[in-house]
Amino acid sequence: MLRKVCGAQERKESFHVLELKGIHKSFDGVPVLKNICLNIEEGEIVSILGPSGCGKTTLLHLILGMVEADAGTITYQGEDITHMPMEKRGFNIVFQDYALFPHLNVYKNITYGLKNKPHISTQAEVEELIDLLGLRDHLKKRIDQLSGGQKQRVALARTMVMKPKILLLDEPLSALDGVIKESIKDRIKTIAREYHLTTIIVTHDPEEALTLSDRVLIINQGTISQYAKPEEIVHQPNNDFVRKFILRQLEIKRKNIYALFGEGSRFALEAGGVLTV
Amino acid sequence: MKGQQKELKGIFWILFAVFLVFLLIPFCLLFGKSFWDDGITGTFYHSVLQQKDFFTALCNSFQVAAAAAATATVLAFLVAYAVHYTLLPSRFKGFLRFVATLPMFLPTITYGFAIIYSFGKQGLLTRILGRQFFDLYGFWGLFLGYVIYTIPVAFLLLHNTMKFVDKKTFLVSKTMGDRAISTFWVAVVRPLLGTFAGAFIQAFFLSFTDFGIPASVGGNYDVIATMLYNQMLGGIPDFHRGAVIAICMLIPSVVSILLLQLLERWNIRYQKISQVELSKNRVRDLGWGLAGLAVAVFLLSVFAVIFVVPFVEEWPYRTGFSLEHVMEVGSDSELLQVYVHSLLLAAATAFFGTWLSYGAALITARSTLGARYKKVVESLALMTNAIPGMVLGVAYLFAFSGTSLQNTFLLMMLCNIVHYFSTPYLMMKNALSKLNAGWETTAMLMGDSWTKTIFRVVTPNALPSLLEVFSYYFINAMVTISALIFIAGARTMVLTTMMKQLQYVNRFHEVFVLSLLILATNLAVKAGLSLLAKHRWNHKKEKREKGRDFV
Repeated sequence: MLRKVCGAQERKESFHVLELKGIHKSFDGVPVLKNICLNIEEGEIVSILGPSGCGKTTLLHLILGMVEADAGTITYQGEDITHMPMEKRGFNIVFQDYALFPHLNVYKNITYGLKNKPHISTQAEVEELIDLLGLRDHLKKRIDQLSGGQKQRVALARTMVMKPKILLLDEPLSALDGVIKESIKDRIKTIAREYHLTTIIVTHDPEEALTLSDRVLIINQGTISQYAKPEEIVHQPNNDFVRKFILRQLEIKRKNIYALFGEGSRFALEAGGVLTV
Repeated sequence: MKGQQKELKGIFWILFAVFLVFLLIPFCLLFGKSFWDDGITGTFYHSVLQQKDFFTALCNSFQVAAAAAATATVLAFLVAYAVHYTLLPSRFKGFLRFVATLPMFLPTITYGFAIIYSFGKQGLLTRILGRQFFDLYGFWGLFLGYVIYTIPVAFLLLHNTMKFVDKKTFLVSKTMGDRAISTFWVAVVRPLLGTFAGAFIQAFFLSFTDFGIPASVGGNYDVIATMLYNQMLGGIPDFHRGAVIAICMLIPSVVSILLLQLLERWNIRYQKISQVELSKNRVRDLGWGLAGLAVAVFLLSVFAVIFVVPFVEEWPYRTGFSLEHVMEVGSDSELLQVYVHSLLLAAATAFFGTWLSYGAALITARSTLGARYKKVVESLALMTNAIPGMVLGVAYLFAFSGTSLQNTFLLMMLCNIVHYFSTPYLMMKNALSKLNAGWETTAMLMGDSWTKTIFRVVTPNALPSLLEVFSYYFINAMVTISALIFIAGARTMVLTTMMKQLQYVNRFHEVFVLSLLILATNLAVKAGLSLLAKHRWNHKKEKREKGRDFV
C-alpha cells in the first residue's frame, strides 16, 4: 500500500547496490522516518543531510542493522536483508565519537577484527591502509595521546580492515576543526575511490555534504526532501526547505567570504565556481 | 543484538534468584513474624509499643543520631572546605583527606572501646588533660562514636560535590560586588545545600542503625539497636517482639533512603570538574587550615589509644613499652584462626560481590534488555540500601535457622554481598555508563560475540572500577558487625564478633590488637589494589612502547 509512492522519481537503468523501499520507523509512537525510498549505486558516496532530529542517524542505523524498521524492505545486491542481523550484513560504521578501545594501542585497535577473522585482510593490505591514512608514526601510541583527526583515521583504518561492503560514517567531520577537516575529507574520498567502496555519510553541514559526495539525500522531518547530485541541489532546489535551510546557509557563507576577500577576489572565485567543482 | 539477550537474561535470573532467596524471602518472613501467630495478630506490636522503655529507646536513638549527624556534617564541611577552597600545601590536604576517611577502615565497635580508653576515668585523654569531661556511658559516648563513624561518609559526599561545584561563581559573585558573607552563601553553601541534606540523612541513617557503638559505650542508655539485640539474643529472647522492633528500625531507614532519592533530583549536576586559580590569601588559608587540623587532631586523639594500649604492659597501671599483648595474640591459635576466617570471608565477599554488581550494572548501563528488567535491578539495589544490617541479620535468623546454611560462611558471605550491594552497584553503573556507547556495536561488527566483547573490551576498561568495588566490599566485610552478630556461629567467628566476645571477659588489650590488625589489613588491601590498578596501566603502557616487534 505504501509502495506506490516509491520509484516515482528514480528509475534509471543503473545498478543499485542498496535499495530501501517504504521504510517506516517510529520511537514510542512518534514517527521518525516516513516512507523512505532510496537507491544507492555501487561505489557512490552519498551524504544524508538534515537538521538535528530529522531522522538521519536513525536511517544510518537502519541500514547498518542496529535498529529494525517497522515497515518496508532493504535489499543489498537484490537480496532482502531487512531482517538480517547487523553482524551478518557485512556493513561497517565509524561512530561520531570513534568508539576506539582505550586499553589497546593504535595498531591493536586497527587489527582488532583480525583476531576473529584472521584472513579478512592480509598483512600487506593492513600496511597499505596504515600508509594511506598516514598512521605509520602513531602505531604504538595510546588512544588518549591522539588528536581528533588521528583518532578519526584510526577508526577509519580499523573499519577498513574488515573490508565492509558498505562504509557508514556518522558525522565524521563534526568534531574536527579547520584544516584537519579538509584533509580528512580528502582521505575519505581517496578511500572510496581507491577501494571502489559504497560510502554513506551522515552530516548536518550542507557545505560538507555538497563538497564531499556524489549524491546528497536531504531529509526533513522524516521524509526525503530532495535526493540529487550536488549541482542539481544548488541550481534546481526541489522546495522551500532546501532553498531556505540548505542554500541560504551557503549563500551567507559565500557572502561573508567575499566580504573578507573584497571585490577583487569575487570574480576569481565565481569563475572557479566555488560550489560546483 | 540478539546474542546479548540470552547471556544478559541469564545474569538477570541469577541475580534475581540470589536476591529472592537472600533478601525478599527473609524479609517477608521477618514481616510475617511481627504479626503472625496462628493467624494475624496485633498483640506483638501492641505489647512493644505499650512498653515505656521502647519509646525511650526510640527517642534516644532519634536524638543522639540526629545530633551526631548534624555535628559530623559540619565537621566534615570544615575539612572539605579546607581541601577545596584554600591554597594549603597539597601534602597537608592529603593528610586531611586521609584522616577524614580513616574511621572507615575500623569496625565501629572499636570506636566505642577507643572512647572508653580515651575519655574514661583512667583514659589516655583524661590523664593528659587532667579531668574527665563527661560521663561517657550514655548520650555523650554514643554521640562521640557516631560523629567519628559518620565523618567519613559526610566528608566524601561533600568532597565529591565540591569537586564539581563551579568555582567561577565565586569570582562572579566578587566582581558583582557581593560582601564576603553573600559570596560564601551564593558560591559555596547554596550549591551544596542538597549535599548537606544528603550527608545529614546518610549520617543519621548510619548512626540510627549502628550496633557496634552502643554495644560498647551504650551503658544503661538504651537505643533501638541494643533493644533489638537484647530482644533477639539476650536473656529472654522473644522473636516476635524482636521482629516488631526490627520493623520499627526499618521504617525510619526506608524514609531516609526515600528522602535521599528525592534529594537526588534537587542536586545540581555539573559536567566538568571545575578548576580555578584561587587568589592568595594567607588569613583564609591559616583559618581553614587550623579548623581542618582541629578536626583531624580530634579524630586522631581518639584513635591514638589504639596505637598505645597494645604496646604497653598494662594500661592504665603500668605504662612501660611491651610487646607482650601482641605476642599473646600472635600465639593464640584461636584468635589467629578467627583472623584467617575474616580474611577469607572478606576476600570471598569481595570476589563474588564484585561480579554480581558488575553483572547487574551491565544490565542497567549497557544492554537493550527491556525497561522492566532494569527496573527490577534498580529496585533491588535500592532495597539493599534501605535495609539496615541488623534488620537483615534478624531476617536471616528467621529464614535460615535449622537449614544447612545456618551459621555457615556461605551465608555470611551472601549476607555481606546483599547488605552492601547498593554502593558497588552504583559505582559500577556509573563507570560503565561513562564508557563509549559504541563499543559493543563496533566489536560485534569486528566479529566478536557479546560475551567476547565484554571480556575483550568492556572489562579491561572497567578494571579500575572493578578493583575499587572489590576493595569497598573487602573493607566493609572486614569491619561489619551489625548483620553478622546474628548469624555467625561459634565456629564461624570473625574478628568483629570475636571482639564483642572478648569484651565480656575484659580482654581489651586483645580487642585493640585485633583492631590494629584490621586497620593494617584494610590499609594494605586498599593500597595494594590501587597500586595494582596503576601498575597494570603502566605495564600496559610499557608494553605499548615496546610492542609491535612482529610487524
